[in-house]
Amino acid sequence: MTDCDAIIIGSGPGGATAAEVLTAAGWSVIVVEKGRNHLIDLQAPFEPLRHFANDEIAAVRRHLLGPDPLLEPRSYRRSEADGDRLMVGEVNNLPSTVGGGGVHADAKLPRFREEDFALLSARGPIDGARIEDWPIGYDDLEPHYAAAEASFGVAGEAGANPFAAWRSGPYPMRPGDDMPTALVSAAAAQRAGLHPYRAPTGVNSVAYDDRPACVDCGYCSGYGCAIHAKGDPIAALARALRTGRCRIVPEAYVTELVLDPAGRRATGVRYLDLTVCPDPPVRELRASRAVVLAAGAFETPRLLLRQGIGGDAVGRYLTYHYQTFTVGWFPHSVGGERGRSVTHLHDDLMIDTPDLRRVAAAAGLAWVRGGVVEHGGANAPVEEATTYGPGAHHPASMRDSAIRRRMWVFTMQGEDLPQAANRIDLDPSVRDVWGMPAGRVTYAPHRHELVASAYAGPVHEAILLDAGAEVAFTSTSPPQGDLGAHAAANPLGIAPASRHVMGTARMGIDPATSVVTPEQRLWDLDNVVVCDSSVFVTSTGYNPTLTLAALSHRAATLLAG
Amino acid sequence: MTFGFDPAEREAIAATLDAAVPGSVEWGAVEYVERLLGAFDHEPPRIWAAPGTWAGDGPAWLDPGPWERHAWRLRIDAWRSVYARIARGADDDADRRVAFEHACESSYGDPAYGGNREGAAWVAVGFPEPLFPPARSDP
Repeated sequence: MTDCDAIIIGSGPGGATAAEVLTAAGWSVIVVEKGRNHLIDLQAPFEPLRHFANDEIAAVRRHLLGPDPLLEPRSYRRSEADGDRLMVGEVNNLPSTVGGGGVHADAKLPRFREEDFALLSARGPIDGARIEDWPIGYDDLEPHYAAAEASFGVAGEAGANPFAAWRSGPYPMRPGDDMPTALVSAAAAQRAGLHPYRAPTGVNSVAYDDRPACVDCGYCSGYGCAIHAKGDPIAALARALRTGRCRIVPEAYVTELVLDPAGRRATGVRYLDLTVCPDPPVRELRASRAVVLAAGAFETPRLLLRQGIGGDAVGRYLTYHYQTFTVGWFPHSVGGERGRSVTHLHDDLMIDTPDLRRVAAAAGLAWVRGGVVEHGGANAPVEEATTYGPGAHHPASMRDSAIRRRMWVFTMQGEDLPQAANRIDLDPSVRDVWGMPAGRVTYAPHRHELVASAYAGPVHEAILLDAGAEVAFTSTSPPQGDLGAHAAANPLGIAPASRHVMGTARMGIDPATSVVTPEQRLWDLDNVVVCDSSVFVTSTGYNPTLTLAALSHRAATLLAG
Repeated sequence: MTFGFDPAEREAIAATLDAAVPGSVEWGAVEYVERLLGAFDHEPPRIWAAPGTWAGDGPAWLDPGPWERHAWRLRIDAWRSVYARIARGADDDADRRVAFEHACESSYGDPAYGGNREGAAWVAVGFPEPLFPPARSDP
């Protein structure tokens, strides 16, 4: 007796996409989600719950989207030389809620480029990194990119980015309105010979898919969308629910996969029912055909590691984007309080250019790639206030508002090379409130990332000064140098602040060096498919969400036959 | 009966909050802290303001789940101890940091939480009123 055809662990963009595909193919699915449901009424007609407001206190300060670090701490260290850990607390926390990371993201949804899937072939190896080609190419994924763009509702302009990969059709809708200062920074970038373009964004520019157009309220990055104009996975989940073949179970913390006697297939999951406190009961769900792991590149390996599934590669080759922030302080307001956080990007530092070849050669590297660069502003006065520190200067600092009202930032999502020592494992002594070992990050950037960042900083500082900034400077996450000073003063903390977490269960053609097959099935378990960014082979320098959704679409399509 | 400081406690705590963020007490920082520490004097506890009338006629406060309640009880219990020490005149860097963060939240967060009276702090720093604010219910 089983409960459904497939159990999907996680309701973010990966899990939601898998649910949409499988239910459309006639499968019955149960989506189990550790976090609470603030997104969608689980009864027909599946309307939005409308729990989200323009509220920094709830969303940013009080963990509305979860996870609460008091319940679910994580730990971080740079290397084994740091001992068991440097810190315990909030590390790379993506929302733990129905909709997952799709709820808080500002939904920059670029595709990867052809080269990104064949980096070893295109650029060659780099010492100290395990660069490999993906077992699939861009052409394999293109139809699934198109499907994911249609599902999430991506607004973009085909042809605007001269470096973009080919596409089989137009974007589902035109780009939204530009943020005014993005036009200024884009013009300056053009004068510097770069190629800025309107960011493909999963935010409605027009009414689409029964959701309204964005009104540029400004509460985008870090917030649930008050009107669901944003491409959180509500549309995919709603379509799955409307088939009558999908059930979503929030507050269900999967503790283990249930295996058949031979240990080759998953027959279900056991979970803690977190609607009960204290002493949540253990419950079990059974699936007749498959289990889809879509818990994200942090929690997916944590689950596999608890059960010893997947081999030595599980948790390894953790990548983020090494973030380089070039900050410009302007003499006037830059208008970051309205708009979609970021409306323009440029990709030039991902491209093989004579400048970057020279930089690589000077550093003794075979090549260097930076990452996509986001042009954006800030809209968080409480976070700003905490950054200035206490004292008599505080009111004047807030009125001057150098790090909010007058701040425009280029954020480079720098490609992070896969290294075996960078990993997620189980902390030897820190546990979550339910007694499970906390996830621990061990991470330090490769020299490649530092070289790319050091090149990008002055380039972008010059552009921001040309755009009218009075002062420009560059910082990174994770920070370099004296971590003690950063721990006290850096608003981003000492751990990587990036929420782009990838590569902890890589796909490949060799079970000795990868965790999943090219079809994203675990080598160890025939019917467990991984549908999140843990399967990424390399990080590229592009926001990962659209690609993980496209991969989920492909894997679920293959699974459904 | 909801949580509130007595006059002596209020004076000491106000001094600490205002030293951290001058002007915060005028904008309602003490009331913000009292509402936070008294969140569980109400049902549902006043942790997250619900969306305002623009979202329909829903409740004014979202209902935390059982484990979220657990976490917030722990957090608030710890903060009650912090403010008890501040009220007694104890001088501790970690306690002052908590008060500073609450002074920032009260001043520059939404008025729904008891600070930033009538949005005065936002006006002072040129921050625009949100388009989709949370519900601003009575204390």
